[in-house]
Amino acid sequence: MSTDTTLSAAAAQPAAKPRSRRMSTSTILLIVAGALVGLSLVHQLANAPDVTSSGAIQAALQAAVPLGLAGLGGLWAERAGVVNIGLEGQMILGTWFGAWGSLEFGPWIGLLIGILGGAVGGLVHAVATVTFGVDHIISGVAMTILAPGVVRYLSYITWGSAGATQSPQVVDQVPRLSVPGVNSLKGLEEHQWFLISDIAGVLRGLLHEVSLVTILAVLLIPLTAWVLWKTAFGLRVRSVGEDPQAAESLGLNVYRYKYYGVVISGAMAGLGGVYLSTVTSAIYREGQTGGRGYIGLAAMIFGNWRPGGLAVGASLFGYTDALQLRRGSESVHALLILVGALLLALAVWEFIRRNRVVAISSAVLGVLSYVLFFSVDKIPTALVQAAPYITVLVVLALAAQRLRPPAADGKPYRRGG
Amino acid sequence: MTADPPAVELKGITKRFPGVVANSDVNLTVRKGTIHAIVGENGAGKSTLMKILYGMQPPDEGEILIEGNPVKFSSPQGAIGAGIGMVHQHFMLADNFTVTENVVLGAEKLHGIGTQAKAKITEISQRYGLGVEPDTLVEDLGVGDRQRVEILKVLYRGARILILDEPTAVLVPQEVDELFGNLRELIREGLTVLFISHKLDEVRGVADDITVIRRGTTVASVKPDQVTARQLATLMVGSELPSPEARESTVTDVPVLVVRGLTVRGPDGRPIVDDATFTIHKGEVVGIAGVEGNGQAELAEAIIGMRDSAGTVELDGVAIAGWDTRRRREAGLGYIPEDRHRQGLLLDAPLWENRILGHQTEPPNAKGFLINVGGARRDTTRIVAEYDVRTPSIDVAAVALSGGNQQKLIVGREMSHQPKVLIAAHPTRGVDVGAQAAIWDHIRNARIAGMGVLLISADLDELIGLSDALKVIYGGRLVADADPSTVTPEQLGVAMTGATGEETPS
Repeated sequence: MSTDTTLSAAAAQPAAKPRSRRMSTSTILLIVAGALVGLSLVHQLANAPDVTSSGAIQAALQAAVPLGLAGLGGLWAERAGVVNIGLEGQMILGTWFGAWGSLEFGPWIGLLIGILGGAVGGLVHAVATVTFGVDHIISGVAMTILAPGVVRYLSYITWGSAGATQSPQVVDQVPRLSVPGVNSLKGLEEHQWFLISDIAGVLRGLLHEVSLVTILAVLLIPLTAWVLWKTAFGLRVRSVGEDPQAAESLGLNVYRYKYYGVVISGAMAGLGGVYLSTVTSAIYREGQTGGRGYIGLAAMIFGNWRPGGLAVGASLFGYTDALQLRRGSESVHALLILVGALLLALAVWEFIRRNRVVAISSAVLGVLSYVLFFSVDKIPTALVQAAPYITVLVVLALAAQRLRPPAADGKPYRRGG
Repeated sequence: MTADPPAVELKGITKRFPGVVANSDVNLTVRKGTIHAIVGENGAGKSTLMKILYGMQPPDEGEILIEGNPVKFSSPQGAIGAGIGMVHQHFMLADNFTVTENVVLGAEKLHGIGTQAKAKITEISQRYGLGVEPDTLVEDLGVGDRQRVEILKVLYRGARILILDEPTAVLVPQEVDELFGNLRELIREGLTVLFISHKLDEVRGVADDITVIRRGTTVASVKPDQVTARQLATLMVGSELPSPEARESTVTDVPVLVVRGLTVRGPDGRPIVDDATFTIHKGEVVGIAGVEGNGQAELAEAIIGMRDSAGTVELDGVAIAGWDTRRRREAGLGYIPEDRHRQGLLLDAPLWENRILGHQTEPPNAKGFLINVGGARRDTTRIVAEYDVRTPSIDVAAVALSGGNQQKLIVGREMSHQPKVLIAAHPTRGVDVGAQAAIWDHIRNARIAGMGVLLISADLDELIGLSDALKVIYGGRLVADADPSTVTPEQLGVAMTGATGEETPS
C-alpha cells in the first residue's frame, strides 16, 4: 500500500512495470553449465566419480521421473484450486494397476490401466472435495490410507495369499531407446578427465537405454506448460484455481474444470506409479511409492507451481535419491563441498538483500556442511538414505520466501457463493 | 410511437424469496443510448432486480423486453447472448492473471486467447477511451483501472446494454469523474447504461433518467434536472431526512485520546503512518481526510492495537500503547472497521454470534468464563430494534443482510458498550441515505454523552458535517488541519492530494 499506487490512479500513469517472471534460455544454460563444472570439481577434489557417472545420472533420471509426475499431478490439481495430498494414494493405485495390467495385457495397455487407476483415485478425491466440499487435506489423507488397503485386497484376490504384498515378475516392459553412438562415450567417461569425462557420463546417462515412458514423462512437462498457459482449456482450469467466483460470473462451470484438474492430477500420479512398478523395477511391491507423492508435491512447491521449476525440483530430489544407490556414503560426502559452497553463497546473497533470517540459517547450514565434510570420510548410511528428505526440507525452508500459489488454492468453493 | 423500441422494458416484475418479497410489480423503461439510474435504499431490491435482468434469478411474475422482444433468461449466458453485460460491485478479476486472461476467460471462442484477442482488447480500449493495457497483471492495477477492465470484459462479449452495480462505491472522486467520462463515451457509441446507486448527487450529475425503487417496487421515474437531491432522497426513503451537520458543539477540554508520535512501518521499513500526533477531547469528533491508501487505515488499526506501532497512545489518561486489542477494547475503545467483510463480522455466523464478537468477555455476552447465550440473544434483539437492522430474525447469517444492515449491526454492537472513544472507519460506506442518517444520529448522540470519535471517511460531506476538527493525512503524515465550519469540500480535496503541504485555510 504505497502512496504512489493510489495517486497514480488520478495521474493515469501506466501501472505496468516489466516483470521477468521466467528465466531466459541463456540463464538456464548458464546454470546447467555451472552445475556441471561444480560437479566436475567435486568429482576431482573428493575423488568421487559417481557424482557424474552415467550410472548415477541414469538412476537420477529414473528417480526424478516419478517425482516429476507426482509434482505434475500436484500442479494440475492445485492450479484448479484443489490441494491433492492424496497423490501418494493415487500413485499406489498406479503401481498396482500398472503391474497388473502389464502382466495381463502387456506393457502399453498396462501403462494405460495404471494411469486409469490413478485417474479413478483423482475422481474420488474430486467427488469428495468438489461435489461434497470435504476438506481437501482430510480427503487426501483418506485417499492415502484407503489406497494401500484397496491394492492389498486386490493383490490377495488376484495373486493369492502368497502375492498379497508383491506381484509376480513383470517380464514384458516398454522398450528402451538409445541415441546411436552414445554408448561409445563410455571410454571417454572412464578416463576421469576434468569436465570432459563428466559431460560424457551425463550424456550417456541421459541418452543411453532410456525407456519410452521416461521420454513420455519428460515431454509431459512442456506439454503441461503449453496446455495450461497457451490454451483456452488451460486458462479455464487456472481461472478456477485463482478466482472461482470470477470464473463463475463469466459462465464457467467451475465444478467441471476442478474435476478436470483433479482427474488429470490423479492420472499423472498414476503414471508415476506405473513407472515405479514397470520401468524402475519390474514388479509391484507393497510400499513401493515410499512417500514419493509427498516429495513430488514438495518439488511442485519448490518450482513455484510451474512446470519448469517443478522439473528442476524433481531432478534435484531424484539426484539425491539416486546417489544413495551409487556408493552413497562417498558421493554424498563429496557433494557436501558443493552444498556448503552453495549455501554460503546464498547466505552472502541474502545478507546483501537484508534477508537476515534466511542469510543466517543458510550460513549455519553451510558451515555445518563443511564441518561434516572434514570430520568424517563417509556419511553414515542412515543419513545417506535421509538425504533426499533433508534436501526437501532445507530447500523448501529456504525457497518458501517468494512463492506464489494459486490464489484460491485449497479454499472450498460453493456454487453461487 | 415512431422512435426505436426501448432498450430494456420491465413489466410487472415480481420476485419472492422465502419470507420476503424482494420485488413487486416493478415497471421500468430504459431508452436506448441513455444512462438510466436506478436509486433506492440498501435492501430496496435494486440488486435483485438487476440479477433478474441479468438472468441470475428468474422472476416469479412479469415480463422482460429487450429492444422490443420478450425474453426469458435461465442463466447469465442467455442475458449475455441478448447483449446484456453486468459490471459487478465486487470486481470479478483474478489478480494473478493478465488483463487479457481475465477478459477472454469464458469467451475464448470469440478471438482466441492470443494475439488476436489482445488486438481486440486494445481496439475496444481505444474506441471507448478506457486506457487498458492487455498485458498488465491485474494485481498491478488500481481500483479505477480494474473497473475499466470489468467494463471492457463486458464490451468484449458484445454487450449493448451495461448494468453497473454501485460502480462508484469503491472510487475516489477523481476516479468517479473518469468513470462518468467513460460512461458518456459509451452512450455516444449507442450503448445503453443501467446504473445502480444511492449517491444522489452523482446520479443527478450523470443520468438521463432516474427510476426510484422503494421497498421492492418502482415509486417514481424522474428527470435529473427536475428534482433536487433532497427530493430524490425523500422519494427513496419515503420521509424527510436529516443532514450530517453536527449542530452545536459539545467539545469539552478534557482529552480522552492522546496520540503522540505514532509511527507504523511497512514490511520494507518505510513509515506508512509517520509521527502522527493529535488529541481527541470528550465530546469531540476528529475527522481524518485523505485519499485512500495514505495511512488512515493503518492509523486506525494501530490505535485499536491490530498493528505494531511506535509512539504513545493514552486513553482517558492511561497509556495503552503496549496493550493488545482485547485489553484496549475492554478499556473503552470501540471500532467500526473499514472492511466489514474482512473484519468486524463473521459472515457465516448468525447475527447474535456476531453481536458477541469483540465483546465476548463483557456482559451481556459473558458470565464469568462462559458465554451467556441468552443475554447475547436478548441484546441482539434490542440492537436489531433500536438500530433498525432489517432482518427476518437474529438467527440468520450475517451474509444474508444487505451492506447497510450489516453496518447498522456493527454500529449497534460497538455503541452498546459505551466506548470512551469510537474509531469509525468509513462508518457509512455502502450504506443508503436512510441508514446513513441513523448512523450519524447515533454518533451524534454518543458524542453529546461525552464520547470521542476518530472519524475516517472518504465522504467529504460527511467529514465536514460531522467533525469538530479535521486533519488531512497524506503519505502517512498529518499534513494539515482544517476547520469544518469554514472549509469546503474542494479545498479539502486539494489538500488531500498533497498539493499545498501547508495549512489549508482555517
